[in-house]
Amino acid sequence: MEDSTPPPPPEEQSPPPPPPATHTGSPTDFLKGVVGKRVIVRLTSGMDYRGVLSCLDGYMNIALEQTEEHVNGVVTNRYGDAFIRGNNVLYISAAEAF
Amino acid sequence: MENSSIQEPFDLIRLSLSERVFVKLRGDRELTGILHAYDGHMNLIMSDVEETIMIVDVAEGAPAGQPATVNVAKRKMEMLFVRGDGVILVRLPYCRICRCSCNQVSPPSRT
Repeated sequence: MEDSTPPPPPEEQSPPPPPPATHTGSPTDFLKGVVGKRVIVRLTSGMDYRGVLSCLDGYMNIALEQTEEHVNGVVTNRYGDAFIRGNNVLYISAAEAF
Repeated sequence: MENSSIQEPFDLIRLSLSERVFVKLRGDRELTGILHAYDGHMNLIMSDVEETIMIVDVAEGAPAGQPATVNVAKRKMEMLFVRGDGVILVRLPYCRICRCSCNQVSPPSRT
């Protein structure tokens, strides 16, 4: 009587993930918080740009002031103001408290 | 705020129109030239352009760790359309803060 067999219970009922202990805000909140602060921008190529984040947009295009280009930890260039096209950005790291 | 004229990153590019800018491109290429126009893709129209191409030669059979030789090739173009997806970085012609030469446009000499 296959009709009478009840459907098997779901294999595994994964409980909903517990909420994080401390909610520190969304990525957008982080980005709003670091505008005007010193940041480290790493590109997908592995280069780092350190400077003051003037502003950024939805594409993650970035305007940096007092920019230093670091390759393998060595300063290779200094730019006053620089525009970084967002598709090259791997991450933005806060270099000072915000 | 000191730089209240900058609300979005493209404002930096707008301030560089008709100025000589430095553009870093994918594929170890750099351009310096006068910026005439741009759009939201960062497609650029530049004139009086010098392109610098870094060519890294790894000698065949060389032991790992031996520094590769870097050859630099340069060429000049009168007028150039740059497709935006190749752009990594645009450097402004001057530093807006101190107006000093800390923002030198010519790339540092490499040997």
